[in-house]
Amino acid sequence: MEQIRKQITEFITTNFLFDESITLGVEDSLLDTGVIDSTGVLELVAFIEETYGIKIEDEEIVPENLDSINNISLYISQKLSQLTADKAAN
Amino acid sequence: MIPIKPIDLSVDLVHHFLERSARFYPDKVAIVHGKARVAYSEINTRADNLARHFLSHGVQKGDRIALLMENCVEYVISYYAIMKAGAVAVPLNSDLKPEGLRYAINDLEAKILIFGSRFDKLISSSDLDAFGLTHLIRKGPLSSLGDVVSFDAVSRFSSGNDGHEFSTLNHELSDSDLASIIYTSGSTGGPKGVMLTHRNIVDNTFSICQYLHLTEKDIQMCVLPFFYVMGKSLLNTHFAVGGTIVVNNQFAFPATVLKEMIAEKVTGFSGVPSTFAYLLHRSPLAASRDKLDSLRYVTQAGGHMSKAIKEQLRRVLPSHTEIVIMYGATEAAARLSYLESSWFADKMESIGKAIPGVELIVMNEQGKEASTGEVGELVARGSNIMPGYLNKPEATSKALAGGWYHTGDQAYRDEEGFFFVVGRQDDLLKVGGHRLSPQEIEDTLMESGLFVEAVVLGMPDEFLGNKLVILAVPSNSSCTSNEVMSFCAGRLPKYKVPSEVRFAKNLPKKTSGKIDRKGCLALFAKTVAP
Repeated sequence: MEQIRKQITEFITTNFLFDESITLGVEDSLLDTGVIDSTGVLELVAFIEETYGIKIEDEEIVPENLDSINNISLYISQKLSQLTADKAAN
Repeated sequence: MIPIKPIDLSVDLVHHFLERSARFYPDKVAIVHGKARVAYSEINTRADNLARHFLSHGVQKGDRIALLMENCVEYVISYYAIMKAGAVAVPLNSDLKPEGLRYAINDLEAKILIFGSRFDKLISSSDLDAFGLTHLIRKGPLSSLGDVVSFDAVSRFSSGNDGHEFSTLNHELSDSDLASIIYTSGSTGGPKGVMLTHRNIVDNTFSICQYLHLTEKDIQMCVLPFFYVMGKSLLNTHFAVGGTIVVNNQFAFPATVLKEMIAEKVTGFSGVPSTFAYLLHRSPLAASRDKLDSLRYVTQAGGHMSKAIKEQLRRVLPSHTEIVIMYGATEAAARLSYLESSWFADKMESIGKAIPGVELIVMNEQGKEASTGEVGELVARGSNIMPGYLNKPEATSKALAGGWYHTGDQAYRDEEGFFFVVGRQDDLLKVGGHRLSPQEIEDTLMESGLFVEAVVLGMPDEFLGNKLVILAVPSNSSCTSNEVMSFCAGRLPKYKVPSEVRFAKNLPKKTSGKIDRKGCLALFAKTVAP
């Protein structure tokens, strides 16, 4: 989880946080702070799908999963656990 | 010209929309935003309080008051309060940088700025004192910014005339006075402040209510920013009829928007082409179809949307939901034409016919009305057309030459009187000996089903003037350049076949959601060919 949080923070910092004076907390809303918009969310979704090999369903593109560094990290961890469990079951 | 049917003859100023609905539907929910559900009477009372505050600060008729906020209840209160006080509401783009904000404040000679706490940093780094700004009103928790007044304090409590309804300066205001200034990005010469009178906005609002058959039962999901003329038009039309606006600033998470549309039994949804491209590509719209029982119509404006997306939208939306294609400009207070939904299947590519109160023609190079099928510039006149741009007499003369508003769009009219826009004059690309409209090629590209979005650009070329290139968001990660180029070769004449395609995860957009062609060109240059 810590590793995921680090990767997500790095991705967001590199791609969206152009203003270095902004300090983004792990719980801060990416939308409310103006860090990300709809274009950014699509980029984030593509990054997560490519990096972690998981499929994000349209219904899952919601703030509860993707609107803060913590939410994103937790969501990815859960998806990966589910993926591992599914593989084991098969 | 079809005449406008006013909803109420006594309404001739923009804030009368709010005052009338507060009188007829005092307890009705006017705005839903998150957990907040605010009635017309409360919005009107708070707008009265804020207007009194303006007057106690010496605001005079015609003074410009700038607004820098995301869509919210306070935005709506501010917008109408400014006009109640006889001042001019200037909604600013929430994406402004310090230079842009300084430009606007200077151009407007504004002394008052109302803003949300999200913009604290922008305000403090913009050195606005130097531009004569003397009064800041801020929405949000206590701030470290210096001399700032709390929005809540000045809108929740009256600063005089307690117990009496605020008396707008009606006797001093006429419908030809300025109501609002909206900045529009010009292709040359910096942003232009489009000046709109009360009459411009009131007439256009009545006209839209008329052709969309809006009533107090209508509930609009608003994802477009109020600072954008289309967003502002959604607000005014629904306030004019006593309807409800559901504000949702989370369109980045479309599933959330759809969920709220279902829960609030929304009757109308409006967007620009990218709104619908996004909804169709990454949202559970198709899966939600059976739950959108109340959705009476969707409207699309803000530029040309490809036929492929329109057809897809028709397939995905519930069959009872009408699709209304609309066309307009900030200079027209929003709207100029619409395609009645009954014509959607037959004339999908058309922008329809002039709305009530508007005269629309295609003008040829000789300044005469073009004949059927002949391409020329689309020009309009009517009581909704702006009196001009702020501090830009040259641009005003050009835009309003000969008593017509020149849209800058190339169009033709068919034998049944429907207008078709073929492209923007500014976007025409000179390729070899041809002048090409990227729109036509983009439409063909979208028919391939290979893309979520695609834009055709002109890269400067020593021999051709421009060479055509594509910047596209593929619908599938396995899409290859060869696949795209062979599709083009099979569908387009040789001189219209782009020479190269590059893929991006997204196309750069303006905050209104419109494609940013300059941004696309810069991104193309940075993107590696697949």
